Amino acid sequence: MPDALLEKLRTAVGPLNVLTGIELSPYVVEGRTPEAAVFPGSIEEVAAVMALACEVGRSVTPWGGGTAASVGMPTAGAGLIMGLRRMARLLDHEPGDLTATVEAGMTVEAFQTALRSCGQWLSLDPADANRASVGGVIATNAYGPRRHLYGTARDLLIGVTVVTADGSIVKGGGKVVKNVAGYDLPKLFIGSYGTLGVIVEATVKLRPLAEHEELVCVRFDRLKDAGAAVKAVASSDLIPNAVELLDATAATGARLVAGATGSSTSPSAALVVGFDGVREQVEWQRAELARLTGPLGGRDVRQLDAGAWPRLGPAAPAAFATPAAVMTLAVLPTQVAEIMEQGAGIARGRGLQSAWAAHAGVGVMRSALGSDPAPQDPGAIAAVLTEWREIAHAGGGHANLESAPLAVKSQVPVWDDPGAAGRIMERIKAQLDPRNILNPGRFVAGI
Amino acid sequence: MPNLTDSRKLELRRELETLVGRGAVLSDPDELMVYESDGLTLFRALADFIVFPTSAQQVSAVVKLANRENLPFVARGAGTGLSGGCLPAEGGVVISLMRMNKVLEVDYENQIAVVEPGLVNLHLSWKVGPRGYYYAPDPSSQQACTIGGNIANNSGGPHTLKYGVTTNHVLGLEVVMPDGEIVWLGGKTREACGYDLAGVFVGSEGTFGIATRIVVRILKKPQAVKTVLAVFDAIDQASAAVSAIIARGLVPAAMEMIDHLTIQAVEDAFNCGYPRDADAALLIELDGLAVGMDVQAEHIVAACRESGAREVRTARTEAERQLLWKGRKSAFGAYGRVSPAYMVMDGVIPRTKLPYVLRRVNEIVAAAGLRVGNVFHAGDGNLHPNILYDPRKPGEEARVVAAGAEIMKVCADVGGSISGEHGIGLEKADFMPFIFSVADLSLMQRLKNAFNPRGLCNPGKVFPTKKSCVEVGPVAYRPHAIEEKGLAQRF
Repeated sequence: MPDALLEKLRTAVGPLNVLTGIELSPYVVEGRTPEAAVFPGSIEEVAAVMALACEVGRSVTPWGGGTAASVGMPTAGAGLIMGLRRMARLLDHEPGDLTATVEAGMTVEAFQTALRSCGQWLSLDPADANRASVGGVIATNAYGPRRHLYGTARDLLIGVTVVTADGSIVKGGGKVVKNVAGYDLPKLFIGSYGTLGVIVEATVKLRPLAEHEELVCVRFDRLKDAGAAVKAVASSDLIPNAVELLDATAATGARLVAGATGSSTSPSAALVVGFDGVREQVEWQRAELARLTGPLGGRDVRQLDAGAWPRLGPAAPAAFATPAAVMTLAVLPTQVAEIMEQGAGIARGRGLQSAWAAHAGVGVMRSALGSDPAPQDPGAIAAVLTEWREIAHAGGGHANLESAPLAVKSQVPVWDDPGAAGRIMERIKAQLDPRNILNPGRFVAGI
Repeated sequence: MPNLTDSRKLELRRELETLVGRGAVLSDPDELMVYESDGLTLFRALADFIVFPTSAQQVSAVVKLANRENLPFVARGAGTGLSGGCLPAEGGVVISLMRMNKVLEVDYENQIAVVEPGLVNLHLSWKVGPRGYYYAPDPSSQQACTIGGNIANNSGGPHTLKYGVTTNHVLGLEVVMPDGEIVWLGGKTREACGYDLAGVFVGSEGTFGIATRIVVRILKKPQAVKTVLAVFDAIDQASAAVSAIIARGLVPAAMEMIDHLTIQAVEDAFNCGYPRDADAALLIELDGLAVGMDVQAEHIVAACRESGAREVRTARTEAERQLLWKGRKSAFGAYGRVSPAYMVMDGVIPRTKLPYVLRRVNEIVAAAGLRVGNVFHAGDGNLHPNILYDPRKPGEEARVVAAGAEIMKVCADVGGSISGEHGIGLEKADFMPFIFSVADLSLMQRLKNAFNPRGLCNPGKVFPTKKSCVEVGPVAYRPHAIEEKGLAQRF
């Protein structure tokens, strides 16, 4: 990087907030080292850095907690990391309005801690809450098991401030829970992986904390029966806040089977269901769940401790020391169990182990490929992933590659084909980032 | 926009008939007048043609013809909108979706339905009701308004407090783009691939294209419902009760406020059992599991009483519940009893600002020498001041518009929004700068350019223009065609 540019960056954000050389090691993605990492302390500083980058044609990668840094294709060109860790304040929380405004760099955990002291929470439970930033969670559309009842960022984000590629500061939405004035810009930035703007502030809807919450595990000898139980729960009067289906391997990854040693039969699936509300509601639902699932082959109904919650989302990759690849599939909820069985069969057919865990009630699942015993041939891994994507398509859905070695990514497109809508996405990108400097090449359709 | 000669008009009519069929094109001035406005009758404009396609292919063909002829085109559902959003451009084509009104598919196990845009909102709940399901967004006009219109405006309703607005229930759409291409945005699964274009499309007020198929979520009907009416002698107490309920950690399914003037109008019209002398009433509904419902209801009752409610009662039967809701949902119609016309405002404010803003609303309207009735979604801070007026009195409409602008300014100043569920349309386009900067609007314009680069699809809406109401003022009252023919009258 030219010294003159470095000097301008240091002037914009302060010399201590520009990292270069060896200090960049935490920001190396897929072997690529950025030219510099800058850490602005205000929206104006973000805008100043963006304007500079735009002027000199450097690419910019917004960076929150770095928990999803390797998702997508590596960006074309080294460029700048725009780190938001210094922008981590809770700006506004009016409990009576059930809304709060935060800076994008605040971690989800710090945010939830502040809200909890007022008896409220952001009903979003992504993994790695201690590192994941609010802005990053929005940009990557991250979620956890409780999305079953409470939805995702698109149901909670009511206002957003972004710095666009040309350094403009733009607001969309507002601070009120219901708002149709103007286009729904918050939706545009959710899950856009930093390709349309740098999210700097977010205003979200909150919920009161439930009086009581429980996580209940039911074990099944056959995955198919667990799938039938998911359907039975969906058509019942129960109002669970999570409905998770894990195959035997993923159940190990989530450490759900710790107490099962010595059991004569090893269960092949676990259904994990969450309930919240007043205590009598939770108790009634737990009993009702046992009543519904018993005739379908459910057994060993037991409560899990609250520590199991954050282990559910990452259960599939956690089943392996270093998974060879992780895929996210979205299908119709009724297809989940069948696709899990088919998918595991496809992997076995190529001599590979896999683990499957689903937010089954909403049809969103993650699958991981094991790398034991030896480093696998990228061709075999790519073949399995391609077939997994095909079964997702057959189930009415699609599949994205969440992580894989570059050798695999070069054979299997990371992102599924958005179809004709891809052209609209390209036009949006061209309108908002005409010089293509925000995370170029990382996202869908080559965006 | 081109001014078509009579002979060109005739040629185009013939061509449109070949695209959508004879009997599916209107172009007589009398017939066009039926489509000259939506539910906001302050604004009117005449199209050249109204067409009634029955398929996405027909919509696409009409859109392509409009592009070729450089004619503006506007999609229209039931015309119940309240912001002039589906008002024709002067000239051009109105594409009515009312003949595309089928439920195409219901998948109960996956809890989704695929519907056409002209389907009446309530008809979907009727269709899936027997199997124990319903469609959650419930605008007050749900007996008439269409799902396509709900998509355009991202419509809300009383129960959106707990269940969210239209966008929270739409998974995907088949859309005829402004250039005529047919594209799917989103689909049947809960996650889309790439940008959330379905989310961006919902609420775009017909400026991003025309939805021809819509995938919506249907929900399981709750096991139990409890409806409570709390009666107050002062509206400030009712506002305080809203905050008290939220402070107790409760999220009711709905929390609606009805003020004194509205109670009287509703009682005159429908006799729903609201006390006539009350200054305000709160209609609160809880739903969910039967277990625990009584405990929660006790919390609600206690919060209302602590806030000064003089009476709190619970509907004992479904008939009683329906009657209370009839009062709420028919309020807009009931204003017809007390005023020849009214203009509905749609501001949103942080809930904690309710007492202050309601006071300001009443002061502003009184200063304009007018009356106001308030009936609104108190739980989410979405106000509906209804300014009553007589369009035949010279100058009243202008005073209504000015008072409305002042109310919107108050909402904006307390950190709120100028529209919660009715849309910007034509009516509020010039008030967008109250809440958005030049940079904000410029980004929205670029987004619009990505969908609608030629600007032929529903022109003149959403963005401030030099030609809307602030400069021109509302269109002066003139009797509607059906009034002139003696088929209807204002009273």
